[in-house]
Amino acid sequence: MPESTALLEVRDVVAGYGRGPAILNGAGITVEEGRTHCIIGPNGAGKSTLLKVVSGLLPARAGEVVFDGESIAGLRPDEILRRGICFVPQERALFPDMSVRENLRMGGYIITDRADLDRRLDEVLEAFPVLRERGGQRAKSLSGGEQQMLTMGRTLVLRPRIVMLDEPSLGLAPRIVSQVFDIIRLLKDKGITVIIVEQNAVVGLSNADLGCVLDLGRTMFEGPADGILEDPRIRELYLGKRAGAA
Amino acid sequence: MTDILQILLIGAVLGGVYALMASGLTLIFGVMKIINLAHPVFIIIGAYISYWLFTLVGLDPILSMPIAMIALFCLGIVVYKLIFEREASSAKYSEMTVLLTFAVALSFDGLLGVLFGNIQRITSPSYAVEAVMLGDLFLPKGQFYAGLISIALIGALVAFLKFTRFGYAIRATTQNREAAQLLGVNVGLVSTITFGIGIGLAGASGALISFIFSFFPARHWEWIALLMSLIVLGGMGRLMGAVVGAFLLAIVSAFVGSYFGSTWSMMTFYLALFLILLVRPQGLFGEKME
Repeated sequence: MPESTALLEVRDVVAGYGRGPAILNGAGITVEEGRTHCIIGPNGAGKSTLLKVVSGLLPARAGEVVFDGESIAGLRPDEILRRGICFVPQERALFPDMSVRENLRMGGYIITDRADLDRRLDEVLEAFPVLRERGGQRAKSLSGGEQQMLTMGRTLVLRPRIVMLDEPSLGLAPRIVSQVFDIIRLLKDKGITVIIVEQNAVVGLSNADLGCVLDLGRTMFEGPADGILEDPRIRELYLGKRAGAA
Repeated sequence: MTDILQILLIGAVLGGVYALMASGLTLIFGVMKIINLAHPVFIIIGAYISYWLFTLVGLDPILSMPIAMIALFCLGIVVYKLIFEREASSAKYSEMTVLLTFAVALSFDGLLGVLFGNIQRITSPSYAVEAVMLGDLFLPKGQFYAGLISIALIGALVAFLKFTRFGYAIRATTQNREAAQLLGVNVGLVSTITFGIGIGLAGASGALISFIFSFFPARHWEWIALLMSLIVLGGMGRLMGAVVGAFLLAIVSAFVGSYFGSTWSMMTFYLALFLILLVRPQGLFGEKME
């Protein structure tokens, strides 16, 4: 793969929590601008941990994280955010007792110019009319799908270059899951690079351009998502019975 | 009828004062999950500041309130930096803080005892012994002023939390610390400043109660139970909950005091705490605990 197309390059990362054992043991991913990537792998493979390292929440013990030609390893989470990398954690990413509008405003917390922030909020409300309707409601009173919409709308306030979603479909009904992936496609249409971690590998991969298989803290395979879906070995090892449905 | 209105009025005014005393406690719990058993000690330090400024240079306690507030804000930040900050990453944080704040309470209690002796004191500006008449109703001026200023300060705090950028950061950190951090909130700084604000509010309420309650260093043990019952009733960490809890319990205790004798009015708070924990441990406005 030619170096020049990679927007984000994560290489040989070793990381773990506190003094605990390494969860990531030489993991990496090559992220190409404007494309949707899906990271799959069994429970405990280190998928979420990898996103936490990129977002600066968890320092890497070794390895490289290069964004746009510059190393971002060791930067604080807010510095990484300022460069345009947004991380949406698993579940409960909202402020439940704040209104929809207040949640969106928090999305632009690092923007100190109030007029600029108001313009950006308008843009997001334009893209998600439902959020405008619900503007004064508390986030916790929204349905599961609306909450995910708010979570993603909130990341858009920053006009990010990369959005990383940790299991966006977790705990949602199948009908809502397809809505969530509609929103993810919307991000892609806006030219945003997307990285999704998905437990439901088939759904995740069929909505992505590129895939990355993680196991035991290592990257086992990277390539086009449809290639992964069709690879008999990967199907057997990581896609389980669900492979037949793809 | 006049009797009932009279009791309601006194209860409501005291409710305002209690609400201010509890506001810092619930704010600090909300953001940092610190159960600050030392909170009323800081109230008493605030009371001493106003007491001495009045006694030595004749400065009115209402005017010295901002001084007590700023002094305690600074003290709060020093205490947080020295004692709590390095514990913040520990997994046993919440349990540790109960012990730590207990130790802080004991230390300041002892220090105040050494400095000022265990003598009952009260600041006595002229209005502390005067009263206002509202029709047939009678209201001690001191309580009236203290109640009004407390409510005004809580109003200012609510506006600060609701409309300023830092207020957004405090609320966001209270509701979802990790998400706030992900959006670029410096949660360490928010914690430090919030601790300072909470202790500053304790200082302000100390200045106000210095002319309505007599105080001595060890009086804080009585107040922590009172304050805990207010914030548990409202739901831990919820400012409006603490305010509603303060008004409810202050009014109920005023009735109890008036019908059963003032010995029992303090008992109202303990009994309420006991009942809430039995019946609705999450409080009136809290979420069900898992």
